[in-house]
Amino acid sequence: MNIASRVTRVLSIEGVAILGAFVLMVLYFSFSSDSFFVADSIRYYVNEAAPIFLITAGLTYVIIAGGIDLSIGAVLGLSAGTSLTFSMWGWPTWASALIGIATGLLFGVINAAIITFFKVNDFIVTLGTLNIAGGLLTVLTDHKQLVGTSDKNFMAIAGTMVFGVTTGIVIAILAVVVLEFALLQSSYGRRVYATGIGRLPAFISGIDVDKVKFQAYVISGGMAGLGGVVLAAHLNSVQSGLAGGYELTAIAGAVLGGVSLSGGRGSIWRAVVGALFLATLKQGLQLLGVDPLIYQIITGLCILIGVVLDRSVYNLALRISGRNLERNHQATTELSSV
Amino acid sequence: MSEFRSKVSIASTRNRALMDPSFGVVALLALVVIVMSIFQPSFKTSGNATNIINAMMTVSFLAIGMTVVLISGGIDLSVGSTMALTAGVAGKFISYGMNMYVAFIFALIVGALVGLVNGLLITKLAIPDFIATLAMLGIGQGIMLYWTQGVPILGYMSTPYYYIGGLRKILGPISIPMIVLVVVALVVSILLKKTNLGLYFYAVGSSSVSTRNAGVHVGRIKIWAYVISGLLAGIAGIHIAGRTTTIPPLIGNGYEISAIAAAVIGGASLLGGRGRVVGALIGALTLTLTRNIINIVGIASSWQAIVIGCVLIGAVLANRASEMFGKRISERTEKLNKRKVSA
Repeated sequence: MNIASRVTRVLSIEGVAILGAFVLMVLYFSFSSDSFFVADSIRYYVNEAAPIFLITAGLTYVIIAGGIDLSIGAVLGLSAGTSLTFSMWGWPTWASALIGIATGLLFGVINAAIITFFKVNDFIVTLGTLNIAGGLLTVLTDHKQLVGTSDKNFMAIAGTMVFGVTTGIVIAILAVVVLEFALLQSSYGRRVYATGIGRLPAFISGIDVDKVKFQAYVISGGMAGLGGVVLAAHLNSVQSGLAGGYELTAIAGAVLGGVSLSGGRGSIWRAVVGALFLATLKQGLQLLGVDPLIYQIITGLCILIGVVLDRSVYNLALRISGRNLERNHQATTELSSV
Repeated sequence: MSEFRSKVSIASTRNRALMDPSFGVVALLALVVIVMSIFQPSFKTSGNATNIINAMMTVSFLAIGMTVVLISGGIDLSVGSTMALTAGVAGKFISYGMNMYVAFIFALIVGALVGLVNGLLITKLAIPDFIATLAMLGIGQGIMLYWTQGVPILGYMSTPYYYIGGLRKILGPISIPMIVLVVVALVVSILLKKTNLGLYFYAVGSSSVSTRNAGVHVGRIKIWAYVISGLLAGIAGIHIAGRTTTIPPLIGNGYEISAIAAAVIGGASLLGGRGRVVGALIGALTLTLTRNIINIVGIASSWQAIVIGCVLIGAVLANRASEMFGKRISERTEKLNKRKVSA
């Protein structure tokens, strides 16, 4: 086992390239800006991005099962609105949080029911629920800003410090770990992959594909609900249009991390690393004082470069390890012929 | 015998209508229009009809281009931002003193170039279409923001541009954009139905592997689809610049979603291989009519998004329902015919 083959083996783990790019970016930002690599700064922006990690994790289930969920951003905003409203009405913390999560679950169930029972297009249905959830948030906030619950415990959902990090981050990490574990180890996770790889073969091997998809959308909705509660607790203020466009960050992050939009391929940690990449990029550009007008150009280019880099490193590593395998094979056949 | 045959043909025509991928939404639209005309006198005025048609132009151009891309099995999220960029090219170049028509040609070239870049990114670099066009959306928006420094573009309008934007009519209610739209719709229809390229679009969208095995250069076909979409975004950009008389840098935001929604309501499938130009127009009409009715009935602005969301879901459900209904009826007539033949 020489070093080169070890390196190729590490490189052929999917997602390593994007992780590497992420680390390089963090290093670059911390050398070029004094305020980037400061614990407070990191804590702040990761906390800000915790809801995005949550919805990315939930969305990954839907995408791997072969679907898409565009409604998560708007549902996250609406859940933030409902939980904060109930908290402002003086409901206990746990009840307000539950109502936020229930809002997300409800939208997950609505998406899932329409898509699986009527077999209609997921893109359009979730686009419809995106509009509905966004509209309901506008109705709820009535064009004003919902400001401030006096419930300290509610704010503590995202703001308490545990081992030097905030609970918002802890919740996000826990959710990612649990969901990743379930996806890779549980039989349900296997069924999600099978459904995404091919509906028909999955169906023939006895998988209730509609049920699998239904559950995936409910998970995605539930994570949006949880994300909403965390965001509401973090900001302690909600206005119409909150979290609009989060779904695109989540989708772009997932694809950047190697999740295939045609289903059946990907994993949650990689999707979250992709989302982390995008969140960090935005934060870093702000700190470097880059002209905000060209943020989007840089983000767009970074997405393109990231995807190409990830694919080409993976393919290169595969090719090299394939060549090594061939060489070993040749060596063994030569040995056996002797 | 002849009576029997005519009955069969009527039945089969009826079935074919019901099986049509956008029959459900057309029926729904007809119903809504009838109800509105009865209860809202201001709805059936000719002025309002012209309003609706004018407002649906922009989305129609984009939806036709999107339909071509969807047929070939892709998706183009960049159309809104490309439209804004081409509008910016036309507006800026004219205000720099360039001849209007030369500026239009530049706008179309920029549109087609963006499409070409999309196509190359997707086919040569194997970037997923959703991500490549999403990145192009951001890049286009960014270029537009940086170029204009966030300030709306003004001062490019001239008398001929008022005609081209459809603000002045050439004959009765007929404006130049309407004629352009009809021509574009016809050309793209013929392209899709009568040419090899059109056939290949459907083939690539249905199964790119079998199309490649049949010896077709799949990558080139896909690139053409994105170039057509970009070119149509260019036409939409020239039109919207004339219609709004000022170009805010983010004028195209959200149009990509409207275009996809219109194409899918009109029966295009996001899985590829299905879609029609007429469908795209029906979809664009659905979206525009919804906005128009919201304004006329006076639904509070905060409820508008909810109504639009319900309409989107209702439209795909209506299509689905008519499809199921048509399938059931055709099965029944088939059974009846078999019984008749055996008798």
